[in-house]
Amino acid sequence: MNPVREHLVTLLTEKFEAPPGSIHDDAALGDLDLDSLARVELVFSLQDHWGVPLDDDRDSTGDVTVGRLVDRIETLLAQSAQEPDRSE
Amino acid sequence: MTSPPSAPGDRARAVIAGIGSCLPPLVVTNTQVIARGNLDTTDAWITGRTGIHRRRLAGPAVSTGDLATAAARAAIDSAGSAVPRPDLLLLATTTPDRPCPATAPEVAHRLGLGTVPAFDLAAVCSGFLYGLVTASALLRSGTCRAPLVVAAEKYSTIVDPFDRDTAPLFGDAAAAVALRLGDADEPGAVLETDWGSDGGGSDLITVAAGGSRLPAAAATGIGIDTGIGIDTPGHGDRCFRMRGRQVYAHAVRRMTSSSEAVLATTGWRPEEVRAFIGHQANQRILDAVADRLGVPPRHRLGNIREVGNTAGASVPLALADAAARHACAPGARTLLTAFGGGLTWASATLLWPDAPVRTAAPEPRPPLHDHQEVSPP
Repeated sequence: MNPVREHLVTLLTEKFEAPPGSIHDDAALGDLDLDSLARVELVFSLQDHWGVPLDDDRDSTGDVTVGRLVDRIETLLAQSAQEPDRSE
Repeated sequence: MTSPPSAPGDRARAVIAGIGSCLPPLVVTNTQVIARGNLDTTDAWITGRTGIHRRRLAGPAVSTGDLATAAARAAIDSAGSAVPRPDLLLLATTTPDRPCPATAPEVAHRLGLGTVPAFDLAAVCSGFLYGLVTASALLRSGTCRAPLVVAAEKYSTIVDPFDRDTAPLFGDAAAAVALRLGDADEPGAVLETDWGSDGGGSDLITVAAGGSRLPAAAATGIGIDTGIGIDTPGHGDRCFRMRGRQVYAHAVRRMTSSSEAVLATTGWRPEEVRAFIGHQANQRILDAVADRLGVPPRHRLGNIREVGNTAGASVPLALADAAARHACAPGARTLLTAFGGGLTWASATLLWPDAPVRTAAPEPRPPLHDHQEVSPP
């Protein structure tokens, strides 16, 4: 399992108490017993952990799937790795 | 925007010298809210998702001004004779008695304050802290000597009882503080403040009709009588609406960053805060903000469980509730923060007040006599 997916599954099961058997790539967040505020909390947690600019609104709708979130984070991480280091 | 750092030697601060509150007597449980609106939810869902168990509602005979007058009078009583007679009244509210005129002058009149300046302030749930920032600045500038900051809300007049997303959240209440000029070291001193707004989010929390964009006259034809005078959703919506998911995100971010800003200006670390009171919107928002700041659970104060979200009144109402329970020692490091429609937000650091909390029942409005012309002195 890739680290992004592993972290997301851990978050969903441990912090948001989603049923482990229901978590697969096509599962929508709304179907995992995450209400609207919990979905925003999930996005906040992912932003904090990975340091990527997920969208508070579009990435927390009920129809966002586990697979799409993993793809979004991996895409943003890849973009971040390609950007020149501005800290210097 | 954080207040400019105080100049060295500038020890003068607004000091909270009196605290008053007013809760209407009618207690409404979650079960009653659900039954009234035939809502597709449960008591367990509401308590689990919001932390709210019950709220107070004012009923048709009580207005925002009635709640405000009672809370303001209680704050004056709390301050006692050592504080000058109030010479300015600022009323934060989303639900004034009428669109025009402001409610504050009539409240001042009912309190017997004579011709003091009095005005309403509209910053929705940030209203009290906007008022505290404003009154503190006026006090420190010498514009007034004893301002009253009142926050009063009757959201039962704008909440749609059939809206599952908002109906369980709100309650009616008022709270007030009496300020005087004092020293930065004494209990009640308002040390530093931060406030801001973002009108780009103005559609996230709204009462759409009743203003100049959609005047009340155009909004009155479609409503149904729900028993408490609230229109149904749709065109000309005069009910309070909010987009919960987006509001949650903004609320957590703004209250956290504003709190961090005011703590930095004050020179306090979050773990040094002994009393944290956030806008009592939803327990999950409060927890998210406090967790992010790093304020330990034992220092988080609030009364959302008993009164729900009382909008602009929530922060001083929670302060009054905690002070009445002697939850903190006078002088304890205190952080207040709020977020509301606008979008608006504000925070303040202060030393926990040493004032006896007074509570009062809503004051019925007396008949107003015909206005008498007053000759200039």
